[in-house]
Amino acid sequence: MRIDIDTARCEGHGLCAQVAPQVFDLDDDDLVILRQVGQIPADLEAAAASGARSCPVAALSTSS
Amino acid sequence: MTMRRVVVVGGSIAAVTAIDALRLHGYEGSIVMVSAERHAPYSRVPLSKDVLSGASSAETAQLPALDDSVDLILGDRATTLDTTSRTVELASGARVPFDGLVVATGARPIRLAEDGQTGELVLRDLPDAMVIAERASHATSAIVVGGGFLGMEVASTLLDLGLAVTLVDREPPLRRLLGPWMASLVTTAAVAKGLRVVHGSGNVQLIGDPVDGVRLGDGQTLRADLVVSAVGDRPAAEWLASSGLPVRGGVVVDEQCRVAPGVVAAGDVAVVQRPAGLLTRSPHWTNAVEQGRVAAISLIDADNAVEARPDPYYWTEQFGLNIKIVGNLPGLGSPEILDGDVESRSALLQWGNSCEPVATIAAINYRIAVGRLKKLRAVGDGT
Repeated sequence: MRIDIDTARCEGHGLCAQVAPQVFDLDDDDLVILRQVGQIPADLEAAAASGARSCPVAALSTSS
Repeated sequence: MTMRRVVVVGGSIAAVTAIDALRLHGYEGSIVMVSAERHAPYSRVPLSKDVLSGASSAETAQLPALDDSVDLILGDRATTLDTTSRTVELASGARVPFDGLVVATGARPIRLAEDGQTGELVLRDLPDAMVIAERASHATSAIVVGGGFLGMEVASTLLDLGLAVTLVDREPPLRRLLGPWMASLVTTAAVAKGLRVVHGSGNVQLIGDPVDGVRLGDGQTLRADLVVSAVGDRPAAEWLASSGLPVRGGVVVDEQCRVAPGVVAAGDVAVVQRPAGLLTRSPHWTNAVEQGRVAAISLIDADNAVEARPDPYYWTEQFGLNIKIVGNLPGLGSPEILDGDVESRSALLQWGNSCEPVATIAAINYRIAVGRLKKLRAVGDGT
């Protein structure tokens, strides 16, 4: 699984980083960044998808 | 009881978060999600903004799809809950049995129209937003009834679309939510953009059939091409009426989101019974996420049930202002300006009160990580 970020939509609400801190973080500018580059490890996929779904502005999507 | 089948009634963020939390906490049984909506789960947040304005398509509000292990029943409303046979009955007549139940049916907008009076617009779900967008595309004027977050966001978007917009309420917009200082700041920005604000004492009545205006408490009438009511919502708990579950406005949950053995609830449908007997309701996205998580844990891992932590975080975008708030609302009196300046409408603000030196932090058009906002408040709080 991969997580795709639409940085233009991200408003820095930070819920993804609360729901899945292993996967998401916020940079100094308030915007979401991924803790892992590329493929999400299998054991973090469920958390990553949950974090993506918590985004109130739908800035995060998942792809396989 | 062995939990083999959990039914989640509802299709929005509380339901989705509960489903995620069930899996994240090791539940491997079957999950059925039943939603009255025809659309797979989406975020309601952009509906009053980019989806209404047309800047974003409806598809962009979609939440990432749930995985294949979840059975989705869409477009079928739960009508009855039988707690004896542990079955949810749907409008189609289908009966869905469960071992565990998550009630997350959300809320319905309050309407002002008389019975049979047509044409009132409200904004709760995606089809609502599409109807308003379509009507707005060949309209020149609009009345929005209700000066809360939603009403003001809708007014702002309609103004951006070029309509002449009048906002009607009994009290100044946002004052009850944000306190007089910030409400005044937002309203000043709104009026500068062209919003007309009309206060009327007494109840607002919709006139025309189809609706084409409002009559204020003082008898004054206003007319417009479209009239949108944004006067609050009510928990969608009617389907539980005969269930024997406690319903007082919404379905009553404890601080662990429990309703009855094997039944939990989360999100806008829930009212929380506090130990002192007080009933509270927080119909906001962040609360739905937190309660969804807590409800799932209570359902499948009762020994490790946790309390839903109040996480007061609110945001709105309207009239060129992006506002993020952490803490108690409304902030009372004038804030301390921590950074930026109010004149240019980019500022970091802080309110205290007699109990807490930092009760509320707000960022207005001011980039700051939300986590840092929360820390600013927590530091001042001493917690």
